[in-house]
Parts: sequence; C-alpha cells; structure tokens
Amino acid sequence: MRALSAALAGLAFILAAAPQSGRAAETPSLMERSEAPAMAAATDDGGAGGAPASTLPVPVPVETPALAEAVSAGRLPPVAERLPKAPRVVDLAAMGRETGQQGGTWRMLMGDQRDLRFMTVFSYTRLVTFDEKLNLVPDILQSLDNQDDKVFTLHLRPGHRWSDGQPFTAEDFRYYWENVANDPKLSPSGPNLALLANGKPPTFEVLDPETVRYTWADPNPGFIPAIAAAQPVFIFMPAHYLKQFHQKFADKDALAAAVKAAKVSGWVSLHERKSRQYRPENPDLPTLDPWRNTTHPPAEQFRFERNPYFHRVDTAGHQLPYFDAVTMTLGTPNLIPAKTAAGDSDLQARYLNFEDYTFLKAGETVHGYEARLWEDGIGAFAALFPNLNARDAVWRAVNRDVRFRRALSLGINRRDINHVIFFGLARESADTVLPQSPLYSKALAQDFADYDVAKANALLDEAGLDKRDTDGTRLLPDGRRMEITVETSGENQLYTDIMELVSSDWAKLGIRTFVHPSHLDIFRQRIASGDTVMAMDRGMDNAVPTAEFEPNALAPTQDSQYQWPGFGLFVQSSGHEGQKIDMPEVQRLEDLWRDWRHADKVSAQRAVWTEMLRLNADQVFAIGIVNGTRQPVVVSKRMHNVPGTGLWAFQPSSYFGLYMPDTFFYADAGKG
Amino acid sequence: MNLQVPFQAPGAPLAHYVSDKPFDVGAVAKLTPAQERIYFASQWRLMWWKFKRHRMAVVSSVFLALIYATLPVSEFLAPYESNTRHTDFIRAPPQAVHLFDEGRFVGPFVYGLDYKLNMQNLRREYTVDRDRVQKLRFLCHGDPYDFWGLIPSDRHLVCPPADGPMFLWGSDRLGRDLLSRIIYGARISLTVGLIGISISFLLGITIGGLAGYYGGWFDLLSQRLIEIIHSIPHIPIFLALAAIMPASWSPILVYFGITLILGMMDWTGLARAVRAKLFSLREEDYVLAAQLMGARTPRILLRHLIPGFISHLIASATITIPAMILGETALSFLGLGLRPPIVSWGVMLNEAQNMNVVSLYPWLLLPVAPVILVILAFNFMGDGLRDAADPYSS
Repeated sequence: MRALSAALAGLAFILAAAPQSGRAAETPSLMERSEAPAMAAATDDGGAGGAPASTLPVPVPVETPALAEAVSAGRLPPVAERLPKAPRVVDLAAMGRETGQQGGTWRMLMGDQRDLRFMTVFSYTRLVTFDEKLNLVPDILQSLDNQDDKVFTLHLRPGHRWSDGQPFTAEDFRYYWENVANDPKLSPSGPNLALLANGKPPTFEVLDPETVRYTWADPNPGFIPAIAAAQPVFIFMPAHYLKQFHQKFADKDALAAAVKAAKVSGWVSLHERKSRQYRPENPDLPTLDPWRNTTHPPAEQFRFERNPYFHRVDTAGHQLPYFDAVTMTLGTPNLIPAKTAAGDSDLQARYLNFEDYTFLKAGETVHGYEARLWEDGIGAFAALFPNLNARDAVWRAVNRDVRFRRALSLGINRRDINHVIFFGLARESADTVLPQSPLYSKALAQDFADYDVAKANALLDEAGLDKRDTDGTRLLPDGRRMEITVETSGENQLYTDIMELVSSDWAKLGIRTFVHPSHLDIFRQRIASGDTVMAMDRGMDNAVPTAEFEPNALAPTQDSQYQWPGFGLFVQSSGHEGQKIDMPEVQRLEDLWRDWRHADKVSAQRAVWTEMLRLNADQVFAIGIVNGTRQPVVVSKRMHNVPGTGLWAFQPSSYFGLYMPDTFFYADAGKG
Repeated sequence: MNLQVPFQAPGAPLAHYVSDKPFDVGAVAKLTPAQERIYFASQWRLMWWKFKRHRMAVVSSVFLALIYATLPVSEFLAPYESNTRHTDFIRAPPQAVHLFDEGRFVGPFVYGLDYKLNMQNLRREYTVDRDRVQKLRFLCHGDPYDFWGLIPSDRHLVCPPADGPMFLWGSDRLGRDLLSRIIYGARISLTVGLIGISISFLLGITIGGLAGYYGGWFDLLSQRLIEIIHSIPHIPIFLALAAIMPASWSPILVYFGITLILGMMDWTGLARAVRAKLFSLREEDYVLAAQLMGARTPRILLRHLIPGFISHLIASATITIPAMILGETALSFLGLGLRPPIVSWGVMLNEAQNMNVVSLYPWLLLPVAPVILVILAFNFMGDGLRDAADPYSS
C-alpha cells in the first residue's frame, strides 16, 4: 500500500519555473491510495472527493458576456444551470496567475488537418489531469478512489453536461465499455491495452448515475496515467449522440441511409469517424473540452467556440475558458515562423524552430508579441540509434558490441555542438531523463558523454576493429571500409548540421559518415526492415517521468523504436512477429518492464526505473547528444497568464495543456 | 538600235569575230580582295566572324572559360579548405578588403572582427575593430590539401592574415568560409550536370536522326517509346528512385545516378526536334544531289544535314546546361540531389533557404550570384553561337 501523493511529492520541484506557492498543501488527496478499501480519499473531504474544488467555496457564477444574449433569448440556460453542481474551481491566485476576463479569440497556425488533435492536447481536459507540479488532480471527475491499483471508483460531477446540453453520466462509460470496447466489430482486437491487467479486462459496474467502478484482479498501475495522458484512452463516449450510428441501437434504415450519405463502407467506419474524440473533426460530436469545433473538414480554417457547459470556473465565478473562440488556420509549415513574426498568431510554438528565435525576436516590438524560450522535455534533441536488428550481419554484430556504441558516444564533441548550434544553452547529456525528473541522476546523464578520443579509439581497437585502410579509415571485420550511413527523416534541418559536426568528430576515430535524409514513412519502414544501420532522431519522448509512468521507452516494447525495431515488434506482437530477443541486456530490460507492470509499490516501480535507466546509460543503446534545448514560444503582448518559461513536451505536459490555456486571457477582452 | 549603220553588202564577210584572248568569267563583277575573303571563307571561319560581332557572347564565353579554368585549381584559389570550421566566427558578415588605413598605404588588409554573443536575442554580433590591421598574405601556407588527390600541398593564392580570419564573403552557420565553399562548389555544380547533357544529346541526336532520316518502322517505334517516356510523371519517378537508390551510396554516386536518369528522360524532346527538322531537310535538293552522287547515309547525315540544324542543337544545349545547374538545386530540395559533405552551389542555397537567412544573414544567399551569372553567360553565349551557326542567313 502506498500513498501516491507521497510518490508524487518528489515531483514538487519539477518545473522549476512553476510558481512555488503553497499549493501543495491544498492539492488533493484524490489520488491517495489508502489502506482502507475504498473512498478513503473521498471521506477525508466529507464525501466531495479530493478535488481542489472541495477546498474552495464555489463562487456565485457570473454570466458570460458572449452568451448573455442566447441566455436572455432562452436558447441557453443561465450559467448556474450550465455548470455542474460542483464545478472545478481553478484557483488562479494560488497558481501565481491573474483572474482574467472572458472574450476574444486565440488565433493559431497549424500545418494540416491532422493537427486538429492539438486542440485536444492543448485543451487537456481529462478525467484526471496533472497539474503544474505533476500532481494528479481530478478534472472531469469529481474524485477518483484507487484501491491497490486494482479497484478504481470514478465519481462524476453531478449536473455535468456535454457541450450540447445533454447530461454526462455513467451511461456514457457504459456505452463505451459495453458497446465500443467490447464490441467485436468496433474493437476487433478487444479493449485497449491500458484497460487490461495481465491481459485480463476489468469488471465494470455502474454504481449509480454518477459513479462507475473498474475492478481488476491484478494491479493495473498504467490505468491512471493512460486516462491522464496527452493522448488519453477515452473510456467514455457521448452515448446519446453515438447510438444513432451503432447497429445495436440505431434504426436499421436510418443507419443504412447515414452510411450511404457518408460514403463509407459500413456502420463500423461511420461510427469510428463520428466518434473521433482525440481529433475533433466532427463538429456534431458533443465534447467536454473548453472549445468545440464548429467547422466541417476539409477547411482552411477551423473555428472552435466556447463550450457553454464547460465544468471549470475561476474564483470570481467566471466560467472558463476565457477565450470565446479559437481559430486554427492551416498553412505551409515553412511559412509559419514568418507568419508568426508578422503577428498572425496570438500564441504559437508548434512549427517554430530554435533557429527561428533570433528572427522572431527581431519582430517583437513591431508586431506586439513576445518571443520566449521554453525547455524541450525530450531525452535528447538528437540521438543516434545503432540498429541492433540491422539486416547486414556484419554491421549488426558491430552495433551489438557495447564497446563500439560506447566509443561512438565518447567520440562526439558535445560541447562543440552545444556551442555552435545551441549557443551553449543546451545540456550535453546522454539520452536520459531530465534534471526536472525525480528519477534523474547526474552520473547517468554523463555516462560516456565526455569527449575522449583516445579512450574511444582504444575501445574500437579492443573491439577488433583495429585494421585500417590506407587513409586511416577503419575496416569492418569482413574488410569493408567503416562507412556509416546515418539516416534521418529530413524534417529537422538542425540534424544535418549536428551530423556534420559528428562526422568530423568521428573522422578522428577512423569512421566515415554519410547522412541520408528520407521521407518519414520511408525512414521508418527502412528502420523496421533493418535496412538502416544507424538512425538519428529525437530521444525519449517523456523525459520528465515519475516512477508512475510506464517505462516503455526504455525497453523493447514497440516496432517504432529505432534501436531495436525487431525486438520491439516481437514484444508488441506477443512473439508472433519480429525477432526473438537474443541479447541478455535487452532481455533484462524487457523483464524489468514487465516487473514494473506487476509492481504494487511505488518504491518497487522506482527501483525498476532506476535499474532500467542505469542499464540504458551503461549500454548506450541510444547515443544522446544534447537535451534541455529550447523551444521558442511566441505570445501576444495582450495575452496574460502564459508562463514565462515552461516545459514544452507532449508528455507529461501536453504542450500548453498543463498550463491550462482555458485560463489564458486578453487584458483588453472586455473592451472589444 | 543604230539605224544609221548601213546594211552590209551582200556576200561581204560578217563583221564579228571570236576573240582568242583568255576569258575571265569574274570580270563582269570583279571582287575586291576584302569581298574575296568573305566569299571564299570556310563555314567555320564565317561562324567565328559572326560570333565575334556578338559582344555579349564573347564576354560571356571568356567569363565561362575563366570559371571553368578555376575548377582544376580550386584548392589553390580558395583561402580555406571547404570544410574548415571556425567555431568562434559563426555567421560572420563579409569583411571588406582595404588598401589604406587612415590615409596610410599598407597594402591589402582586413580589419579585425570582434565577436559578442547576444544572449537576449541569441545572436552572434560582430563589430569591426579599426585598430587591428590584419594584412593578407599571398602565395602562403594555409590549410593542407592533396592537389588532384596526389600532391600534398598547403599553398594558397591568398591566405587569411596570420592573426585573424578572413571571410571576404562571410561565413556560414558552422563558421565555414563562404567564398572558399563557392569556389569548391563550382567544381560540382558546373561539371556534374554535363554528364546528363552528354547522354541526352547522344541519345537525342542518334535516335531522332535515324527516325527522321529513315522514317518507317524505326520512326514508329521510337515515337511510341518517346510518348511512353513523356507520359511518366517526373516527381513520382524521383521519389521512387530516392527509395530505390541504395542509402549506402555515397552522395556523389547518388547524384551521378540521378543525372544519368535525368539524361535518360531528357533526350526525348531533342529527339523529336531533330526528327522534325530532318523530315524537312531530307527533301532538299542538295540531299537528293548527294544521294545521286552516291554519298552514304553517315556522310549525308553528318556532312549535309546536321550542319543544317546545328543552330537548333546549340540553342537546345545552352538551355539545357543552365537547366541542369538549376536542376541540381531542385533535386537537392527534394532530398535527392547532393548532400553534405559534398559542396555545391545547390547544396549551399538549399541550406540557406529560410526566413532567418533573408533577414538576418543575407550573405548566405551569395551562391545565387554565381548561379545567375553562369546561367546568364550560358544564355548569351548560346545566343551568339546560334546566330553564328547559321552564317548564311542575313
């Protein structure tokens, strides 16, 4: 038994930039796992659950100016009826932010229609969410009780409504679980993996219209992180809307007509298309997010309008979000920095690159914005992945030799790269967790990250690669010259620069290097097939994890892992495809990862993480170059509440999501 | 008519006679020596005269000849090696060469550069330090190189001053001298495309010539083949090739492959033009005359027909060469052309194409200058050559 919050307390120092107010005290006991069978957390707070809402009085709601007309015309109920009975009260003062005013439009620029998903990521409305200190807090839920990671009881907010005004109840969970997750047609491979513990699904119960319970026989520690993730597992769906597309409920003729009208192959694809929650393409799909899409794709500009039933409210009684609308204008990604510098976006970070910063900074005063630098939350801005499943037997053997990987890492002058390309702002480090993570260890970050040509050369000689060509280039065991073609997806221009510097460093080891950029699809396919000897890409996606996060990036778990695509596929397909793991160190990682999934103590999980990080650093499966690089964030001068610095990461911060864009506002919104 | 002359008496001998003096046919229209020079000049001589009259063409040709002449000696001409990096001088602006310092003659020199990192804007700022007079050195020892891959040397025409760098055209984002890179880049940019053209011309003239002269089944087959090649879209072909081309190929090999394919796809237009031209030319009287005199096909083709459309070939070549130089840039953009560490103008421009460069570091666009100049020069030269190749037209 452990208190999750205790584990998370270690996170308090995360995000150094986050205001260090006395918030920890009032943050929730919600995720508290207690000895008592259930509801302990809830009872602590007098039945209201551990939500911060319960610690703050619910303010008297104030009508939203933009909706006042609709309310007085009777088209919308007044704000008090639109909010849940116990809304989530966001204490902006405690977060070190200002109380804002409603109104205005947030304009942002995006590349293509698939980027609609960023609205869901930025909105970051989840059953439970992380707050800025990476504590888990209930959001859509009023509270959540967790007993031994086996029994999860979810309490909804009474009176919570979908964006179309229909009630959001346990039925929506039931619909998903019984008619989507367990429908043989809609989910042919069964429920999502996060909903399986040891391969077995939970028992699902509806206790009352506002309470549902999931019970697993074995611990399922991945459940809460999965529903709080940037790309969450949605375990609820608007049943009242989707039933018309479900064979079980819909009128046969009407459904057939709808299928025909949508020009899809059958009701399954129609349902799938209409129910897409992560990528809000369907304007008719009710949502719980702060803004709902109002534009049918395809379109050049998507307009999101405020959800009149959103469940968050500030302490002054303003229903969130502050912005009335968000527009997402699509265009060529290459032009986004230029358009942003011309003031076409109010808050922009995606598609801005580090090298654009100087240019963006130059336009600041003229166009009324501020260019800030946030920190990238990935394990390495650029890392090299020797392919342990390379098809070329000789290269495969060389890549599998740890001395070779260590030598390559030691042979990179990281300091030079940092200063030439990143103005010395980045950290010269292996591909590992960042200092903001409680799992960080300086020693591991520095493992084989020093620049030591003599030692690297000695390691290569020791590894039997001591024969050299006339020009000093080393020879492979079969007599070929040691020429590595490093492949990249060609999407990041800085990779070419970094590789150029790495090439000149490796030339000192007697290794010749070529860079081969190719299209992302081809790039991935070549790695998966083993055609690629070495790849360059970003490092660990979530480099600010706690022990609660699944360490799947550190072990072979997926075929999209560039260092061991074959092993990853093997694990992912439960041994049906891919290559059997035949390296003891990799096998150990896989075992450790399985241990984490069965661990029932945070200390055990932490031990697993530590060991996995140590193994990865020692074995140098991925050769990280620098991390802690900066992401330019352009913020309109009118916009308030956007932190000066923050963590720019998909996980755990959902990019802007962690900083709650629904609380961003324009100082002059009231006037216009 | 002179009616005063009386009729001749009957039986008297006729008054006219046949002169036995030598008869000079040209006496009617006597040529001056100057005219003779023109009328009796060979075709090549005429072309040369006509070409000389086209001033721009001559200037362009000299310019191109000079540029091509630098190619074998790039190492000697460039102040730095193409990949020498100067970590302390990243994106340094171009330095001016001065002769006089405060009115005093010192010979060619540059002022020193002071470097400051502006962490506010993340910009490297350089200021010229007028107190530091750094004299350039000539025929000096600098970065070592292997001349033609054989002779190790380190001699350069111009070297940076002993106590500082020299970036006459600025430096790039890794601190490499732009001027040196442009000099090295010419080597690739100006030569590698020629292969494509050679292939294209060889195929185009041969196939087009035979089809036009003989017609018949060969014509039919070659025209269908051309239509098929024409109907294949280029971009997807390149994308497919990018996937097929072994990633382990060195960048230069990849580019040779691509130009080879470019040449293989480019000949069709030329072949058609040649064929159409031959269709009309082969009906000319002089061809018939040559045939009647027993000339064989190769002689008729090469001696009588090709000179008839050589002007067209030259026009086509002068359009294609710049197109190939530009093609290199285009292919690099698709990630199919040359790649670093190979230096070419296309690669340099490709690295310079973003907003930052235009507004903050405009000198990185300097490789555009040689590209434009070379392309213009080729066009002017082609213009002159085309006029000259047809010396009998007015």
